This record gives sequence, structure tokens and C-alpha cells, in this order.
Amino acid sequence: MDYDVLVVGAGIAGMESAIKLGDMGKKVLLVEKEGSVGGRVILLSKVFPTLDCASCITTPRMATSIHHDNITAMTYTDIKAIHRGSDGTFKATVHQKARYVDEAACTGCQLCETACTVAVPDQFNYDLIARRAAYITFPQAVPKKAVIEREGTSPCTDTCPAGIKAHGYVSLIRNGKYEEAFQLVLDATPLVGTLGRACYAPCEGECTRGDLEGTLPIRRLKRFIADRHYAEQDGPGVVAAEPNGKAVAIVGSGPAGLTAAWQLARLGYRVRIFEADKEPGGFLRYALPTYRLPKEVVDQDISNVTALGVEIATNSPVQDPDALKLDGYDAVLIATGTPLSSSMGVPGEQLRGVLGGLDFLRDVRHDLVPDLKGKRVVIVGGGNVAMDAARTARRLGAAETLVAYRRGREEMPAHKAEVDDAEAEGVQFRFLVAPVEVVGDAQGKVTGVKCQRMELGQPDASGRRRPQPVAGSDFVIPCDIVVAAIGMSPDTASFARLLTLGEGRRIKVDPKTLQTEVPYLFAAGDVVLGPSDITTAVGQGRRAAHMMDRWLQGLEMSGFFALDDRLGVIDKAKVMARQKSFNHRDPVTLTLGHDKAPADFHEIEPALTEEEALRGAGSCLDCGVCSECGQCVAACPPNAIDLNMHEKTFDVEIGTVVLATGFKLFDATLKEDYGFGRFPNVITATQMDRQLAPTRPFNTVLRPSDGRVPDRIAYVSCVGSRDKTVGNPLCSKICCMYTAKQNQLIMGALPLADVSVHYMDVRAAGKRYEEFYEQAKAMGANYIKGRVAKITELENGNLVLRYEDIDNGGQITEAEYDLVVLAVGVQPSREAEKLFPDESLTLDDFFFVAEADEDLSSGETNLPGVYVAGTASGAKDIVDSILHAGSAVAQAAAHLETVNAKKVPV
Amino acid sequence: MSRPAPRDTREIIREEPLMHRPILKAVANGPLTVPEIAEAIGCPSNETLYWVMGMRRYGLLTESKEPTDEGFFTYAAVGGGVSS
Repeated sequence: MDYDVLVVGAGIAGMESAIKLGDMGKKVLLVEKEGSVGGRVILLSKVFPTLDCASCITTPRMATSIHHDNITAMTYTDIKAIHRGSDGTFKATVHQKARYVDEAACTGCQLCETACTVAVPDQFNYDLIARRAAYITFPQAVPKKAVIEREGTSPCTDTCPAGIKAHGYVSLIRNGKYEEAFQLVLDATPLVGTLGRACYAPCEGECTRGDLEGTLPIRRLKRFIADRHYAEQDGPGVVAAEPNGKAVAIVGSGPAGLTAAWQLARLGYRVRIFEADKEPGGFLRYALPTYRLPKEVVDQDISNVTALGVEIATNSPVQDPDALKLDGYDAVLIATGTPLSSSMGVPGEQLRGVLGGLDFLRDVRHDLVPDLKGKRVVIVGGGNVAMDAARTARRLGAAETLVAYRRGREEMPAHKAEVDDAEAEGVQFRFLVAPVEVVGDAQGKVTGVKCQRMELGQPDASGRRRPQPVAGSDFVIPCDIVVAAIGMSPDTASFARLLTLGEGRRIKVDPKTLQTEVPYLFAAGDVVLGPSDITTAVGQGRRAAHMMDRWLQGLEMSGFFALDDRLGVIDKAKVMARQKSFNHRDPVTLTLGHDKAPADFHEIEPALTEEEALRGAGSCLDCGVCSECGQCVAACPPNAIDLNMHEKTFDVEIGTVVLATGFKLFDATLKEDYGFGRFPNVITATQMDRQLAPTRPFNTVLRPSDGRVPDRIAYVSCVGSRDKTVGNPLCSKICCMYTAKQNQLIMGALPLADVSVHYMDVRAAGKRYEEFYEQAKAMGANYIKGRVAKITELENGNLVLRYEDIDNGGQITEAEYDLVVLAVGVQPSREAEKLFPDESLTLDDFFFVAEADEDLSSGETNLPGVYVAGTASGAKDIVDSILHAGSAVAQAAAHLETVNAKKVPV
Repeated sequence: MSRPAPRDTREIIREEPLMHRPILKAVANGPLTVPEIAEAIGCPSNETLYWVMGMRRYGLLTESKEPTDEGFFTYAAVGGGVSS
């Protein structure tokens, strides 16, 4: 056996059980689902009837349960299942959730908590105050180790093909940390300004807020931080590592090449980029029109790379990567993209006036502007390059610009926004037509495109319906210029000597490592994938840099956590279920004032104002909880935080089980007449206990509506207990006494306050309990017999209780208070029964764990070898929970003797 | 009912980081009570209390030693607050 006993739950009963069994010499595994042992008792102010400090009586047990030689305590851990073995032992499946913190290194300094940018309700203060996604469970936590709450990767981050932490930079912007947000994106790629404009923002398509009133403007937020950085800062603000003595050559300066160069330079490599064109940027500079991506932005982004010492050799096409190797480069990355325009493959393509889509755009960027004034231009194709070409033609003065596409509008590969924008700028569309010939005059000049009509058949491999020609439907579209934007392909002929080329002359690589069959040669981006998009190419560049670094260090080529082996994406339904309601927030939308006849190439999309940026970022739902902004990592002195940590699941063999899974509190919103959840000044007694505790959430007892110190406080007893209307006829046993305790503590904390208790009857069954209750009355607590029927709220937040005043003739009476405290009852947690998939743990009529014989065999369940301790079997105060744990311990120890007797001694 | 139902607690608390700047700006010229801060930033007092207490917890605000005669503590920026 791995352990003699498994104790599930480390509240007061669980800790007591573990310590007693440990003292007996039993090997105990104590498992607690929260980040600290201590359960609910440690959250209390004081205990009744002694008014001892709850921390004072609990923390020694917490420390002992963690440090006891015979106890192995696992916090932030739960049990998935317990199976009975044939020899009387059990096999338990233990699930250690990832804390994302190295417990051995964490000092509990809480700097991560202070740095964290995500605020969530603090369940350990019963939602009275915010905590952070990075948190220490509570001030007296044992172990005092941080937890990073991550429920999954946020959908925006998960979907980014570059592995950019979109949720992270949104959260930083919300916190006013604009430069930190820029640096977070910069950690992935130097192309922050570019992606802020030209990314197709798959993150926005996955934004959970999009299921409400509209997505966050995630891409434009990126542009906001880039614009701000470039306006305020000189240089990227990043220092490269010391030179490591190794050199890398990168062929191509598009998004993949620039990103890889950036990453490798930061690691200390000497990097030189070889660019065939006369200026760096590749597709960014030559294929994207400046109205979408201004040249200055490309220059700013590239300056990040050169600031780290990366050299860019322009007009330097590379034909032979071997020569680079011979020149002393330790590795070479080919990232040359897809610079060739595909041919239409129809007669007449050699006529004057026929241009390739990319060639056309490149010529414009090279200031080789064709004269289109007054001319009729036909763009063949339906992709983004076709849209860019069409809109560029409009800006060059074309009289008519027509896009001819062989499928329908819905099948266009161009992004919808691009199509809509093109149409808004006066571009015309003709769908279901395909060119069969370019026709020209005797001088060899284009006069039109002969097309044939198409109809859509069955879907092809791309999922789009396949266009089929309609016989005899040929017609001519008269025009002066034809731009063939039907595809792009890589220019890899010169690499064929060294490398195997795949479909479409793309370079074949290992998709995980991007290494080619020649070990020192890597390839990334569109030269590997074919035409994709900037952000995908950035992701490829990051991957290539990571893998090249691993290869050059002789390490295993793995560990690319930016895109591989990430925490699974959070289920959006789970995100939405966290809240009972969502208030409408006006989304930050983009309205472009398109000119039907655009005359120049000025950038058309406006930047977000700071107000819009904060409003947009402020709409984030924090889907994954932790945003991965990285502030905690930066703030942690011992580098204890590891966001790539994984949960662990393993089996242990045990001799017996003690269930100490505790209770849950009644949900006071179910008593609608009392207004909890609607009236801020109606709180629960557990919330009041937190307000009275030394580690209280507020500076003193305050009413939640306005922060005023309350003068008149009312308690309503038996809320959710002894109440068949909510399905719980049981007395919760503790409410009367904790009410009396709180009465006394309030009168100590707020000497001028009046405290009234509206009760049915008081049950003070326990040693010195009656005296304790009398003491509360003697101190001034006003006990009023009669159940409260309804609570209403006044304009000033005060509350009016309507009740039957039994001691004064039973008349219906109303009384006004500043603050009302509901003495909520105890309910079964329903956790224990889920632990036994193979057998049925018997529950009592009220769904607490049933004891076989409460009178004679306390703590024994119907399952041999399984015992219950504390409130898992019914409402108990602390004293009774500890006594009950003692009973369960005795039973478990006795059972172990029988198990050990059956087993062969070790 | 004298006021709209409170928003979901999680939604209010999630906005705390967004409210740091306006609240620090509000108290830049001197300590204010929660209702006074609420009025300055144009938000409900019950929501402002969550934000003020979160900021107090994480060291951005501190309270006065005694409450006013009306029973309100005042809250001031730790270290002088923001300039803008």
C-alpha cells in the first residue's frame, strides 16, 4: 500500500482525522481541493462559546497536518474515483491540479497577486471583495503558496496562429499598462503595428463577448498599443542576450523571416537576413496596399529587428543555401513566401495589359504605377489579393473595376470585410464567370476577357461547391487591363538541388520542427504552407526560431509552448454560466467612411481613442480567468511561476478512506422574499463573519450599498433550514450560536450599533451555549420572536422587515434597519457520493452521508473500510465535528488492522 | 424596489482594474467617502465599494482613521495617487 489512509477534505474534521491517524503511526494521504488546508473554520472570526480566535485554534492544526511525518498533504488536489480492490484495499485516482507555481520555490510574498491584472470574486471572502487570478488562498494559508487560477486557454489566445496572448494584452490595456501590452505582443513578434492593422483577427471570431452584444476590437487594440509605443518610445525596449557565438542566415524578410530573426537575435545569435528585393518586408511591403498597411508602420516594426543588431542585406537573392553554410552560418532558414503570381492558363495571357495580381501590387509599391486613369480593369479571382488589386486599381483612377470570380459571393476566399470594403469603394462584382481567353487587338493590346458562365455543382475538397461551365455561354467583358489574381506560389526552383519539393513546389519539412531533410536547413511560412496569412507566417517564424535554437544547442526539438501542448481552450458555455446576468455594453465598432472613388492611398482605418481602447478592453470576460499577461512571472523574485505546468493524475493504493468533504451553505437567493442578491445590504452570516474577522475584506463592518458603518443591524434566523419551502426541514444546529457570537462581536466592533435578532426559537444545546446566548442578550442584542415574511428596500438602501411580533400579541410589524444578516443554514455538499463509481455510498434522507448506526457506530458508512467525519454526515459545530472525526479515526484504525492481517507482511 | 437590481458581482469586480484610474483621479485632491467617489466617477455606490475595497486590499487606497459623523470612512490614494 502507498498509504494506510486516504482522508478526503482538509477542513477541521479532515485535519483532525489525519493528525490523529498520523499520531497512531498510520501513513496518511490528506487531499484538499483548495490551495490551503483549513476548510471553513479558518475563515471564521472567532468560535463559540469561548470566543477564541478561529485562527489561533486552527493554524496549529493546519501546520501539523502539513508537516506531520506521517501525513502527506496534497492541496489544490481532488480525488477522481476510489475503487475497491479484491484484497480489501482501495485504489484512488488522485488529480493534482496545476498551480502553475513551483511550491518549493514560492515564498508566499504575494507579489504575483499584486501584479496580476485579472480581478475575480474572492470565494474565501464569500464574494464581498475582489481577489486576483494569481492569489494566495487566504492570509493564513498553509501551505502559503500562490495559485494561478486557469480554467483553460481563452478562446482568443487559443485561436491565434501566432500564439499571441490576446487575452493577456487586452487585460494589460484594461489596467492602463499599454507598454507592457506592447511588450507582450513583442515577445511573440516584432510586427506589432503590422498585425494591429493587417491581421484577419481570428481572435475576434472566437471572442465570447461576440455571443452577447459584439466582439472586443482585439486587433485594433493591438494597433493602439503599437501606435502608442512608437509615438512614445525610441526602440523596442528589449535587450538581446549576450552573443552565443553562433550565426543564422534567414532567406526572406517577410513576416516569418522577420519574426524568426527577432526571436533568434534575442537569444544571442548573430542573424543576417537576405532579401531579394530592394527593401525588406516581403509580402508586407510589396503585397499589402498602404491604405491597409502604411509603409511607415512596416519600417517601425522592422526597426525592432534591426535594433537588436540583425543585419538585412537587400537586393540579395539566395540561390544556394550551401554557400551560406560555407560562409559560416550554423543554420539557415528559408522564408521566401509565395512571390509568384499563378497563371490563368488561357490563351492571350501574353497580351499587353495582362498583369499578375502580386506583380501589379508590387509594381505599385515600387512606384512603377501603371496608368489606369479612365481605363476598364478586370480582376480575375476572389481572394484577398484580388480585393487588394481591385481597390488599388480604384485608387489609380480606373474608370471601371470589375472582379470576375468563378464561384458565388459566399464561396469567395477573401475575407468578408475585404469584399464589403471593395464594394463600398465602387468595385463591381460578376460571379459565376471564368476566363477562357484574353482577347486583344492587332497591336497585341488587351481589349477584353472572354468568359464563360459557371454553375455550382457538388462541393470539392475545399468544401466549396465546384464551379462547372455552362456550355455555349461564352461572352466578352470589354476591358483595357486584366489582373490575374488567382493564386500565388513559391519560387523554390533553385532549392530543388538540395531539398525535396512537395505539392505546389513547396518545401517539405517536419511540421513540428520545420526542419528539412538537410539538418541545418529549416523552412517556414508560405514557402512551406502555400498562401496563408501574415499571422500564420508569424507563428511559423516563431516555431522555426525555437526549433533552430534547440537544434543548435543539441537539445530535443520540443517545448514550443507558444502553440504546442497548451492548456485546452475553455468551454464558452462555462464562461457564460459563471454569471447569472450580463449587462449590455455598447461594443466598440468600426465604421469606415468609404469613398466611392478613392483617390489616394492614405490609411483608411482610424485608430482607437484611449477611451475606446479602455472601453473595448473593459468588455473582456476573462474567459480563461488568468489572462497569461505574464505580469506575475515578471514580478516573482524566485521565478516560481510556470504557466506551462500541467496537471497530474495518478493512482495510489490505500487501506481505508475517511470522507471529510464538509458541507455547503444554503443559497440565500432562493429565499426571494429576503432580497439577497438584489438588495446590497442583505448579506449572509458567513459574509458578516468575514467582516468581523481580523483578515476582514473591509476596514471595518460596512454596509455594501455605500460603505457606511451600520447603526441598526438585524439578523434573520433559520434561512434555508427548518424550512420545508426550500426542501430542508432540518435544523442547521450552528446558526443560533453563530448569531449570538456575531451579536457580541458586532457590539464590540461597533459599540453604538443596535442589533436585533428575528427568530423562531433559539436552540442552545451544548456546554455553556445557553449562557453564551444569554450573554449576547445581556450585551444588548434584542431578540424578537417571529418569522420575517418579507424584506423591502428603501431609497437610501435601508431595509424594512415585515414580521409577526409574537411576543407582542402577534401583530404584523415593520422595522427599518441599515443592514440585514441572514443566518443561512447548512446543506450537504454532495461531493462524497461521486467518489465511488463501482459502489453506492448510502446517503440519508437529506443527502448527507448516512452512518450505518449513528448511535452505536458513529462514522461508519455502508461501505466497508469507508468512514465519514464531520459535517459530511450532517450539520455539526466545530466541537462535534472534532469528536466525530475521533470516532471515524477509531473505526478506520480498527479496519486497518483487519486489512493488514489479510495482507502478507512486507 | 427603489433602484435597479445590482449587476452580477463577477461583472462588477471584473471592472475593478478599469476603475483604478478614475478612482485615483477622483481622490487626487483629497480623501473621499465611497458615495463621494461614486458620484465623481458616475457609478453606483455599491459597485464603487467593490472597487474601493479591492484597491485598498492591493495597496492603492487607504482609509481614514475615523469615520465621518455620518458614518463614512474616507479613502485616499497611497503615495499621492495619479497626476492626471
